[in-house]
Amino acid sequence: MECVVQGIIETKHVEALEILLQGLCGVHRDSLRIHELCLKSVPNLGLVSSEVRLLCDLEQPEPTWTVRHIGGAMRGAGAEQISVLVRTMAESKVSQNALRLFYALGYKLDHELLRVGFAFHFNSGAPITVTVSSVNKMLKLHATDEAVPVTPGIQLVEVTAPASSENYTEVAKSMSSFCEYLAPLLHLSKPGVSTGVVPTAAAAAASLMSDGGGTTL
Amino acid sequence: MPIKWILHWQPNAGTTVNTQILSEVSQCAESINGVKEGRWKTILSFYRAMVREQGSANEFPRDFVGISLAEQPSKYFLVIRGQRVVVEAESNIQMIMEKLQSYKTRFVLTFEGNQYQLGDFQLRVGKVVPTHSESLRGIVMEMEYQPISSCEKSHQIMGEFFDLWQEALSKRSLQGHFVHLEPNFTEYGLPDQYTLQHTAVQYASITAQMISTAQTVQPNRN
Repeated sequence: MECVVQGIIETKHVEALEILLQGLCGVHRDSLRIHELCLKSVPNLGLVSSEVRLLCDLEQPEPTWTVRHIGGAMRGAGAEQISVLVRTMAESKVSQNALRLFYALGYKLDHELLRVGFAFHFNSGAPITVTVSSVNKMLKLHATDEAVPVTPGIQLVEVTAPASSENYTEVAKSMSSFCEYLAPLLHLSKPGVSTGVVPTAAAAAASLMSDGGGTTL
Repeated sequence: MPIKWILHWQPNAGTTVNTQILSEVSQCAESINGVKEGRWKTILSFYRAMVREQGSANEFPRDFVGISLAEQPSKYFLVIRGQRVVVEAESNIQMIMEKLQSYKTRFVLTFEGNQYQLGDFQLRVGKVVPTHSESLRGIVMEMEYQPISSCEKSHQIMGEFFDLWQEALSKRSLQGHFVHLEPNFTEYGLPDQYTLQHTAVQYASITAQMISTAQTVQPNRN
């Protein structure tokens, strides 16, 4: 299970966001270059169709693979009152043959993406990860060296934290508190609830860039 | 990691495996000064595709298995023998497979027994039973040689030890013998250096062998 919020930011403000995150998180950023393959089951397989994602971390000296399954989001009145999305999520590291295995099992490539950017992993009441990345599509199958941005000039910011059925409300609160610090630069909300860029972003970014983050926003 | 051969018991034509044979094999390990060290257990699950159209399950692999090995319970291995694919994952891949609901485990076999140390060799003798049953379906042995990790370099010494073992066992006049049929690891993309993935492939292979033998003995069982 995990808690998730997302937002977008103009690429020209990413450097300012990084300065802000560096100051808030107190850790160094990790570079991110992830090839994400979204696989879907063929029509006859399974009583319902299923999706699974294979993530290949291209930033490591040897590419490392992870299988991720994202399940349904929590629903109901309780879910609506929480400002973050709570959904089931399971992932497992796998050896490099995972794509061949899933093809053999009856899964087909639905689409693939290359995410390039950076991530901060830190603890703020809960273990939180902030990723800032451009989402790129490949013009040829698996050609990660020839990827182009899906939305030029705009990057995706995602804040996630692992949660359980016992602690998701506390995790959601910790995440919401943290996200408030980012409000001058971007608005974070549940995936699927788009809010666009924030009008104060330019001014906030200028402030951050001028004094390296010393200004209190 | 040390090289390992996994052997399965091939009953003589017209006979089946039984607990007496298992007992004799264990006694044989002890009689050649094997020091009993403890218990071991490996679990193999058969996955079957869930399909919407009745009768179309044959479109999907029928030899897809998941294996939990005694050495590393935090890992799980997925093998499709016909496609020569082996994947090593964390044990929670089982939960991901459950959530996908595209494949379900239909039948689970447990391999378990005692472990013996004989100098640089470690032997494991085990019964093969369906989980939560005592109905003996087979007997397996693991033969591990700790000083060597290379499949190629270990071939001679493993062969010699296997011959010694077969000779010791032959004195008990049992109705069958152990068989070693090494899968072609290269076809699975596996290196010469032995790994847990090699072990997983061997288990998938001997299970298929045992099923094939059982079906030969009792062709009308299904």
